[in-house]
Amino acid sequence: MSIILNSATRVLVQGITGKEGRFWTKHMKDYGTHVVAGVTPGKEGETVEGVPVFHTVRRAAASFRIDASLLFVPPRFAKDALFEALDAGIKKVVILCEGIPLHDTLQMRKAALEEGAMVIGSNTSGIISTGKAMMGFFPYWLDRVYRPGRIGIMTRSGSLTNEVTAEVVKAGFGASSLIGIGGDPVPFTRFAEVLPLFQADPDTDAVVIIGELGGTMEEEVAEAIERKVFTKPLVAFLGGRTAPKGKKMGHAGAIITAGKGTVEDKIAALTKAGALVADRPSQVGRLLQSVLQAVE
Amino acid sequence: MKLFEYQAKELFEENQIPVPRRRLIREESGLQQALDEIGFPCVIKAQILEGGRGKAGLIQLAASGEEAHAKTKQIFASPKKVSKVLIEEAVHIAKELYLSITLDPVAGSSVIMACAEGGVDIEEIARSTPDKIIRESVDIARGLSPFQARNLMYDLGLDGPIVSQGSKLLLNLYGLFQRYDCELVEINPLMITSKGNLVAADGKISLDDNSLFRHERFELTREYFDSDAQYEASQEGIPYLEFDGDIGLMCAGAGLTNTVFDLIHYYGGTVSNYLEFGGPNYHKAVQAMTIMMKSNPKVILIVTFGTIARADVMAQGLVDAVKLLKPEIPIVAAIRGTGEEEAHRLLRSIGLQSLDETEEAVKQAIALAGGVGVK
Repeated sequence: MSIILNSATRVLVQGITGKEGRFWTKHMKDYGTHVVAGVTPGKEGETVEGVPVFHTVRRAAASFRIDASLLFVPPRFAKDALFEALDAGIKKVVILCEGIPLHDTLQMRKAALEEGAMVIGSNTSGIISTGKAMMGFFPYWLDRVYRPGRIGIMTRSGSLTNEVTAEVVKAGFGASSLIGIGGDPVPFTRFAEVLPLFQADPDTDAVVIIGELGGTMEEEVAEAIERKVFTKPLVAFLGGRTAPKGKKMGHAGAIITAGKGTVEDKIAALTKAGALVADRPSQVGRLLQSVLQAVE
Repeated sequence: MKLFEYQAKELFEENQIPVPRRRLIREESGLQQALDEIGFPCVIKAQILEGGRGKAGLIQLAASGEEAHAKTKQIFASPKKVSKVLIEEAVHIAKELYLSITLDPVAGSSVIMACAEGGVDIEEIARSTPDKIIRESVDIARGLSPFQARNLMYDLGLDGPIVSQGSKLLLNLYGLFQRYDCELVEINPLMITSKGNLVAADGKISLDDNSLFRHERFELTREYFDSDAQYEASQEGIPYLEFDGDIGLMCAGAGLTNTVFDLIHYYGGTVSNYLEFGGPNYHKAVQAMTIMMKSNPKVILIVTFGTIARADVMAQGLVDAVKLLKPEIPIVAAIRGTGEEEAHRLLRSIGLQSLDETEEAVKQAIALAGGVGVK
């Protein structure tokens, strides 16, 4: 088992004929992902790695049942691309690009919620169910990072994921599914919204979250543990303890986030709820060993 | 992108938000003409992007030409490198309010905040008496409704004709907030004049940098940055920050950068500057190192664990940068990920040690910077 995505999930790639779209479509297929169709306006009739390309999502969806869509589009086109996917009734969408205008993001998240769709991203590498399928760009060939196993991993940072996941593997574990929540200020799907899926997954024994300063997603995880929505062992590593306090948002921003968002606050909330928090990436593996037998 | 006060007021004016009469001058020689137009008393305001201008003596009231000249001269001579000054009519104040609109990333909505006590430190009010701040959440798709604006004006304790004036002002402000993809618009103080009119006495606007492609009139030029290095980094699209310490930090990915920053402090070191050259910047090693050298770090520490940012490409860039720039300071590199074997080989070919562990690299950089207390 795995969450959100497995080798039977029928995947659409929006922006498939671009350089990145082509490159990663090949890798996704090589990894076992069931890519059924692609979309690029003006390119219908072409194929990419054997995958048929359509002008529009609606046309692709008329030819194939589609479970999930992956967006390889520049940030300024992301809103239209997501709306197009939602309009075609697609309920799972992964948005990779970084730098979507914030006002667009808020409209997009609202639309996704109204449609009951799960949108992962933005500013993420995507999601990977190790050994089965992936939507996004993962160097799955790095065996010391992307080894299959029974640990669910959620992360706000691509670069830090490799660093931390390598420690998980070093300690004798591997990943069931790894979800890149994304590093933008407003993630479409929050940690706490994914936790119930890991809770229900019989092949996930524990969850590692890789968080950082800012926002309240880690505090929401602590709440989910306290409310017993999530009862499996949870290990967290958070970057940005010593980061100088940002003033980007000015007064009003500081008031909105007052008393929240520092790594200290997050650690306190998680620890109180019973999660284990690693000081450094190198401790994550040891903390996992303290709650699970490393049998993988 | 933070706008200067004079730019914020231009936008206010274009969006029918009342502002005082004013003239922008770029040198003292322009003052007399401005004074002739504005009259006395007038306010002289340095146009810089930092807060706390009043306390720093960069906002001054003048009642006569002589006083205005002396104070303008003084403001232009400030160590804050003031290059623009706003000369503005002084408004007779009956009452000061606070009004802002920002985005609430958790709720996913915009939020209006208002307070009947303006002109003061609003963060302090938020801390000590949060009940005094009125909040109104606005659905980003539906936008602000007139009834919400009216609610807010009555909640501020206003009554009579000023309520409709205030509602209209707020609706216009919200329109501006939306049209220009703002992260923040703030009017503090929003003044009620002795004649019973509302006037935006100050204005802060911060635009979302990701949306600047939609707003061509605003361009991030040198004047929006504290240093040349920060400006050049922004031109290259490279996130960059400066600090007071020893170690120049180059990382791919904000999360990893934050963590290495933490580890440097954990092991007793300090950071001089920090540059993120992952993502689309991973082939820009020469530009990155040029920028890094500008704040004179004692050692450069490079830590990456690349996904699309391939280790071998970053290492090759680094080799090119070292050959071209010949830095005289030591370089510590832990470059891992796709193509790491080739990366190791490339780095060793120019005599660099190629490390595999982040924490080991951090400890080594601290030792080379003459740091203390390796735990």
